[in-house]
Amino acid sequence: MEFFRKTLDPVIALAVIAVLDIFMFLLIGAWTVGGGETMMTGLAAQAVLGEDLQRIPFWTLVFKPDPGYWKIYISLGMLFGAFIGAVLSKEFYLRYPRHLSEWVLITIGGLLMGFGIRLAFVCNVSTFFGLTPEMNLGGYLAISGIMAGAWVGSMIYKKILEG
Amino acid sequence: MSVIGECLVAFIFGSVVGLLVQRSRFCNTAALRDAILFKTFRNTKALLVAMMILTIGFTAFLTMGDGHPMHFDVGLNQVAGLFLFGVGMVLAGACTVSTWVKTGEGNIGALWALLFTFIGMFLFSLLWSYNYWPPAPASMTGEPNLQALQLGYSNAATLQEKYGIPAIVFGIGQTLVLLAIYRAILRKERNLAKLGSE
Repeated sequence: MEFFRKTLDPVIALAVIAVLDIFMFLLIGAWTVGGGETMMTGLAAQAVLGEDLQRIPFWTLVFKPDPGYWKIYISLGMLFGAFIGAVLSKEFYLRYPRHLSEWVLITIGGLLMGFGIRLAFVCNVSTFFGLTPEMNLGGYLAISGIMAGAWVGSMIYKKILEG
Repeated sequence: MSVIGECLVAFIFGSVVGLLVQRSRFCNTAALRDAILFKTFRNTKALLVAMMILTIGFTAFLTMGDGHPMHFDVGLNQVAGLFLFGVGMVLAGACTVSTWVKTGEGNIGALWALLFTFIGMFLFSLLWSYNYWPPAPASMTGEPNLQALQLGYSNAATLQEKYGIPAIVFGIGQTLVLLAIYRAILRKERNLAKLGSE
């Protein structure tokens, strides 16, 4: 099938996703990822800590672990859809970062992303595909933050590339 | 809609997104990083097109009072949080979407980034439980609270309510700004191509 042999134009892909996101907005809410990831974190912490998790007020006042939280299933769906796409296009194979420096950068990057999402209440997806199209003031604040952060990150990345 | 219905709709939507992002190699990190570092705009253009469609769609439905807009107070924490996120996504080489999509392709580095995103979230939950900032959604009023560095809640629907101008009018304005940025990128690409062929 042609779809699994050629790379799709990202403009077409994102236009289709945008139309579907409008349907999501009408049915349950716009596309977002950070909320689902936070709930997964809470569920994982609950599985490890049990009742002790209630000693951390965040998990009772802000995000009470709930497996029926719909945003979790967007992320699981993305994982599933990408897996199917990769298998059918013969692009699925295990690949690992080759150098220790890559592992370190990914670790720091991951921590900053997780911390930043919860501090902001939003991730990049809700910034560009939710808040800003709704013309929410938070979208503009978030865009200014992510642009500045991406610039600083790019300068660090450039320094590393230049060795 | 029932909880199961919501989860099912979300899963189907996510699956289609995962498939389309995997096949198109779209990456939000690249949309910003490549524009800054390499002056290439493949992903930036796709992001802008999506934002234009969404702005018109969302504000059209907000005009009629439909849809489920995100509802929480905003403030300095959006700037600071997304700043940290922006640095992190460039260092990790992936954002929230591409960590899931690349993990689905068998990328262990992306899975590692995802794991540490969860750990970062858990660490934040510990800090929040100490200083209770930013305010929990339950204590938000929608009004500015400068002591807590919060500016309140506003979007195209609240603008419509306040000024009596349909939300779609503001949406068209924002779309025109996004279109101007898109056209400026196309011009830049043409100029770069011209320079390359000389």
